[in-house]
Amino acid sequence: MAIRQLPAIVVNRIAAGEVVERPAAAVKELVENAIDAGARRIEVTLRDGGASLILVSDDGDGMDAVEVALAVERHCTSKLPDDDLLHIRTLGFRGEALPSIGAVSRLSIVSRKRGAADAFKVAVEGGSKSAVEPAALSQGTRVEVRDLFYATPARLKFLKSVRAERDAAVDAVERLAMAYPSIAFTVVGDEEKPLVRMTAAEPDLAGKSADDIRRARLGAILGRDFADNALAIDAVREGFRLTGFAGLPILNRATARDQYLFVNGRPVRDKLLAGAVRGAYQDVLARDRHPMVVLFLDGPEADIDVNVHPAKAEVRFRDAALVRGLIVGALRNALAAAGHRASTTVAEQALAAARPMVWTQGGAALALNPGFAEAAAPYQAPLAQSPPAARAVEAPAPAATAHPLGAACAQLHETYIVAQTADGLVIVDQHAAHERLVYERMKAEIAATGVKRQILLIPEVVELDPADAARLAARATELAELGLVLEAFGPGAVVVREVPALLGETDVKGLARDLADEVAELGGALSLKERLEEVCGTIACHGSVRAGRRLNQAEMNALLRQMEATPHSGQCNHGRPTYVALSRAEIEKLFGRR
Amino acid sequence: MKLTIERAALLKALGHVQSVVERRNTIPILSNVLLRGADGKLALSATDMDIEMISAVPAQGAKTGGTTVPAHTLYDITRKLPEGAQVLLELGSDKGQMTLRSGRSTFTLACLPAEDYPVMSGSDLAHNFTISAADLKRLIDRTRFAISTEETRYYLNGIYLHAAKSNDVNMLRAVATDGHRLARMELPLPDGAAGMPGVIVPRKAVGELRKLLDEFDQDVAVSLSDTKIRFAFGDSTVLTSKLIDGTFPDYDRVIPTGNDKVLEVECKSFAAAVDRVSTISSEKSRAVKLAIERNSLTLSATSPENGTASEEIEVRYSASPIEIGFNSRYLLDITEQIEGEGAKFVMADAASPTLVRDATDGSALYVLMPMRV
Ligand SMILES: Nc1ncnc2c1ncn2[C@@H]1O[C@H](COP(=O)(O)OP(=O)(O)O)[C@@H](O)[C@H]1O
Ligand SMILES: [Mg+2]
Repeated sequence: MAIRQLPAIVVNRIAAGEVVERPAAAVKELVENAIDAGARRIEVTLRDGGASLILVSDDGDGMDAVEVALAVERHCTSKLPDDDLLHIRTLGFRGEALPSIGAVSRLSIVSRKRGAADAFKVAVEGGSKSAVEPAALSQGTRVEVRDLFYATPARLKFLKSVRAERDAAVDAVERLAMAYPSIAFTVVGDEEKPLVRMTAAEPDLAGKSADDIRRARLGAILGRDFADNALAIDAVREGFRLTGFAGLPILNRATARDQYLFVNGRPVRDKLLAGAVRGAYQDVLARDRHPMVVLFLDGPEADIDVNVHPAKAEVRFRDAALVRGLIVGALRNALAAAGHRASTTVAEQALAAARPMVWTQGGAALALNPGFAEAAAPYQAPLAQSPPAARAVEAPAPAATAHPLGAACAQLHETYIVAQTADGLVIVDQHAAHERLVYERMKAEIAATGVKRQILLIPEVVELDPADAARLAARATELAELGLVLEAFGPGAVVVREVPALLGETDVKGLARDLADEVAELGGALSLKERLEEVCGTIACHGSVRAGRRLNQAEMNALLRQMEATPHSGQCNHGRPTYVALSRAEIEKLFGRR
Repeated sequence: MKLTIERAALLKALGHVQSVVERRNTIPILSNVLLRGADGKLALSATDMDIEMISAVPAQGAKTGGTTVPAHTLYDITRKLPEGAQVLLELGSDKGQMTLRSGRSTFTLACLPAEDYPVMSGSDLAHNFTISAADLKRLIDRTRFAISTEETRYYLNGIYLHAAKSNDVNMLRAVATDGHRLARMELPLPDGAAGMPGVIVPRKAVGELRKLLDEFDQDVAVSLSDTKIRFAFGDSTVLTSKLIDGTFPDYDRVIPTGNDKVLEVECKSFAAAVDRVSTISSEKSRAVKLAIERNSLTLSATSPENGTASEEIEVRYSASPIEIGFNSRYLLDITEQIEGEGAKFVMADAASPTLVRDATDGSALYVLMPMRV
């Protein structure tokens, strides 16, 4: 068969297959274009989840007649003025999106250049372009995509349900909206009520900071829980700046889906983020739970290659270790500084559970909320007859309530300590709290004296693939600090000579393989630390005050004071809170005083 | 099958076989014990597919035959019968049930057919020798503590039994190691053992064998192939076990030969001091440091949380001073095995294997790897 140059239509359809694999991808490209054009307001309309119509209008800079005609041509872009792929500041840079969309749909663009008297229109249908003609539009650009994939029926078959496609499109818009709180976004679907409506906000002199505005925008997208329980991050390292928000560990999820990274304003997916977040939270969260984080990384364009993924969803860092270190360090610092913030979510859940009750003659409780009454009855009934399980102690001296966790007033069910604070009350789970204290002390001990190492009588040779072996050997110093001494052993193996004595007789091969995987995937050796900490955790659990032990007032107050002095004491090792705080205002709400 | 047996004899035999039966079984018949009557005897046997234990007791009654019944149930019933009782076992005509009668008690037990019970064949055990119960006991006791429990290194999960030459004398050797320490015990090679393959006897079989050795002090007939080993105590009790299918490491390489720093301690007082000093270390690893100089040993341990401990004891030592750390648990495991008064530590430096021996008995040898403290 003869070799020939493919016609432009075919080339564009091939490119379209990579750039727009579903309606959400087209929506993302069009919204990015609007953002690049300096829009303040972006409106998206979707019919049938975007399959029959995607309409994106903006109030940005617009295009003149020549530009409109060029915009739909392949590799035509206004965004690489110096042909310099090393300094990309815009979301688009390849000039591929519009021709790709045009190749597989009925595309029309109307645009009016800022300050110009007229608007112009161009249309592309299945790859063939119409002539530019005058049109009517008050400002900005309006891009209409009808019947996406009508020209490539195979692709059409792969679309999911209208609902799934719509949700994916909304997701794409929201992701971009997180990074641009000063732009207003609306998304309207088949229903009358908009799917998304976010107003624009600017930092102002009245005291709203850029942080406040971002927090509000993230709250609108991720939920108020996040806005209320996230720690602001701001850290700088060698030309990179990391800002954004880290959720408190108590606000955790079963998957890592709610972890977002934006690099120079571009939403990206990066394994590096998952590893760094896991490393930063490993002390305060169980291994199978995931925190919520939204991070914005800004750095020199020359150190970040954005041209690595067809949908521009991934980037490559020149120095990934630097970025990882920046993220881990910034998150850790924020978490350590926030050691004492109990989640307001927990307090709110507590309030919701504590519905007012009506006592019946038989002693059973009837809550005003019927569902709760059923659940509560078996617990409440015996309580009404038996003597109260709380042991009150003398009223606290006023000075003691000045401590953040207040002065102990009573122990309930020999499990919970109730303390009065300057502005409310605190309930402490004594076992969880003490376990955390013991664990932190053991960790400090290991940090102070180093990990003791058992030398192996029979060194273990662990076969790995050569890249893994090299990576592991390169980390030998770091691993030795954690008690694991190994070195390269030929090209495809390492030999382990010493192991942390704390682990006892352990599966050395398995450990080395896990570590190799982690170093490759996440850039760090987490599981060794995790295993050591797991042993500490088990010992801590056995060595701490159990639920069911009576504590006197001095013991309770001592526990409260130690908690105040210990970092991370607000959560137990598994990310559950060790105490809940109710402010006076919240208590008043309970009784309808507010 | 219809047999009468002394309760005491039945209880003892059941005691041997039922410990092989796992409490939880996915194959129902493996919860049972196989009973076979023949020639004035009742043979009881149980297996977990890796180990088979057979124990025979005298029984009166003519009819031969066999069945299987739940092992733990039969054991518990027998245990609760009064001392001196006679037990009558009778298999029903449809073979679905066995009746047990003793005094005024009657039990019927559900049976599974004897033909379905897995039996380990022992016809191919080509190597045979006899060893005294006392010698076998010593081979096990001196090495058993060092067996690895880490299942990924299955080939270390047992005692390596093999023939070897020490100073040109043929020896039977038992070796065990967990990769941190090693124990080796040897005895003159019994007749018939020459040419035997090196075999790894799994930990569970070692445990069962050791229990039997507490009850028998006669000679034990050992037969083995490269897949199975059998220990027969007279004609009453026979333990057969599969061997671990793996290669034991070339352990000779880790036994140091050039160590020159010799420390001699009084074993009991050394062990007591190690035990005392290690009380202070809070961690699981319980490290102790040995600072040794001319005729003096200072044991010490520190814990940032609990404080420090140290104790000085008199020793014999004339080499250059050395500081070396060990896991105290490992030290105690070894000193426990030393029966003589003195123990001898032969060291090179703080990062190389140390040799430990009974000062007066050369048959056992221990190698211990130091800890970095
Ligand atoms: N909404 C818009 N407002 C103004 N100009 C636009 C808009 N959309 C596209 N353009 C112009 O069209 C060009 C091509 O767009 P596109 O195919 O998405 O490529 P890229 O964004 O990579 O440059 C852009 O470079 C820009 O100049
Ligand atoms: Mg673009």
